[in-house]
Amino acid sequence: MGPETNKRQGMSMPAGPTAKPGKVRIRRFGLPVMVLLCVLLTWWLVSFFHLFPAYAMPSPGAVLNSFKEEISAGRLVNDIIASLWRVAIGFVVSACLGIPLGLWLGQHAAGRQAFVPMLNFFRFLSPLAWIPFAILWFHIGDKPAIFLIFMATFFPLVLATMSAVATIPKIYFRVARDYNYKGIELLTKVTFPAVLPQVITALRVSYGIAWVVIVAAEMVGCQDGLGYGIWEARNGLRLDSAVCYMITIGVLGMGIDRLLAQLTKLPDVRWGYER
Amino acid sequence: MKLSITGFITGIVLIIVMLGLLRYRPWNHNGSVNIKDVVHDGPNNKAKRQLTVGYLPVTCHLTCPVTDFASKTTHANTNFNSQVFSDFPTVVSALQAKQIQATFMIVPLAMKLREQGVPVRICYLGHRDGSEIVVAKNGKVRSLRDLKGKKVAIPSPYSNQNFVMHKLMEDYGMKPDDITFVVLPPPDMPTSLASGAIDGYFVGEPFCAKAELDGIGRVLYYARDIWPNFISCALVVHEDLIRDNREVVEDLVRGIAQSGAWAETHRAEAARLAAPYYRQDQKVLDYVLLSDPRRVSYVQLTPTDEDLQQIQDMGIKMGLLTKHIPMRELIDRDFVPQTITPALIDAAKIPDPQAGKIH
Repeated sequence: MGPETNKRQGMSMPAGPTAKPGKVRIRRFGLPVMVLLCVLLTWWLVSFFHLFPAYAMPSPGAVLNSFKEEISAGRLVNDIIASLWRVAIGFVVSACLGIPLGLWLGQHAAGRQAFVPMLNFFRFLSPLAWIPFAILWFHIGDKPAIFLIFMATFFPLVLATMSAVATIPKIYFRVARDYNYKGIELLTKVTFPAVLPQVITALRVSYGIAWVVIVAAEMVGCQDGLGYGIWEARNGLRLDSAVCYMITIGVLGMGIDRLLAQLTKLPDVRWGYER
Repeated sequence: MKLSITGFITGIVLIIVMLGLLRYRPWNHNGSVNIKDVVHDGPNNKAKRQLTVGYLPVTCHLTCPVTDFASKTTHANTNFNSQVFSDFPTVVSALQAKQIQATFMIVPLAMKLREQGVPVRICYLGHRDGSEIVVAKNGKVRSLRDLKGKKVAIPSPYSNQNFVMHKLMEDYGMKPDDITFVVLPPPDMPTSLASGAIDGYFVGEPFCAKAELDGIGRVLYYARDIWPNFISCALVVHEDLIRDNREVVEDLVRGIAQSGAWAETHRAEAARLAAPYYRQDQKVLDYVLLSDPRRVSYVQLTPTDEDLQQIQDMGIKMGLLTKHIPMRELIDRDFVPQTITPALIDAAKIPDPQAGKIH
């Protein structure tokens, strides 16, 4: 996601002085809208000419209807709140624990040697594998889902933060020593600002993982949530309603990523993208 | 846009507080957790006892939501909240963690649990029949022998469907590996059949009806044709509940027996009642319950030793079960009422799913 961000920031800059603002706007909003319309049109054509049977490909009309149904029953809003809550808590807990641990490991070679193999081991375990334990340890409801989201995001976040610290140029620390920075001061004045851009990219990536994991996490005896909606639609043999939940998950995920991208505009962070 | 780190953190905290408030609604005394469980607010709020009963949205478990509805709309001593699950492994974990103490479950899985030391007992049955072997509508398969060398899907190795299929193969003089069995989630079976990924499947309703309604499949055998009085699911209760709270278990078994007697004779109403619980198209449920009475039945649900012994013997023969558990340890018939009268459900109180009224 890092290079992509750089590209986007870079793209708007040369366009600024040369291209007309109207043209830029058309390119920024017009092109994606056109692609979206093309995809919708293809979908509609495929279902209109019955290229796939109705049970294998719900029509846009049926999906629209199930949107209406889910919204009027109040389920969709409730499910959105439930999923956002679980992802927010799981993600914040993993960021609050993962980033400090990553910073510490980045600065202590012995700690790295001791913990990295274990962290890597856990990183490769799919959240699906944790499901039985999640239920046994955290029972049913929000807690196991939050646990699964935590398990999916914590390890990548620690490792990304750690490797970001490891890439800080040595000169920074030499200068810091000249200023006699130590301990907390070193962390807040040198290390943390230096890695912030990479940490924010890591946050965006792991937020993406958290949102992807929600479907699996909500298999765990949840009674609501967007992922649960998909499972229930599947069990209820209602693919139209499953598509309606898929669209909601995609749109919300995209929206929240845009919000997180705002972080890159922090004055303390922007330098990382404008090198 | 100007944004400081402090501003950002404040924003995050605000968002989380807001989400937490929306999620738990502290101004609402019931709490949002129970709102989903209570599908209908009945007039009977006097029942002091409550019990959550697990089920899957399949017609073998139909009496579970019916009992839920009945406990809330008629005179009852215990309120039953039916909790829907999407797969059996989750049900097993929930039972082991004692998050639920009563649930509907495939019988061989209950035997396996008992074998592994989870103290559960079968107190009642969920249904009789209710499963079919489905094959492609335009295919050439006319009998089990035609399935030789083909792929057939089953819901779980520990399903009675798997056991019965093997018994039938034995009757036909076929070897166990003449048919390749694959385990598939039931909702994916009709589409897998349509795409040709499998040649047939044996599962509970409504996944057979779905294939027929979509014009994909046809019924090759009804379960009852192979194994009279076929059972796939039963009411499984944790021994702790039986020991600590006999009245609740008694209410539960009576409730389910009466719901079964009601559903047997009020099939259209039962489909209308279950549709919002299952969030399924009522058309599919109507088809299961009304098209042919041979499909499923909800009477004669007292588990007999012969019924379950037959299943256990088959499981042991197949190597899926390893221990002979005495039937008196597995079955608890103490709670089955002497006389079973249909539940006094007022059909006018069943909400109309077409109107989208669920709460």
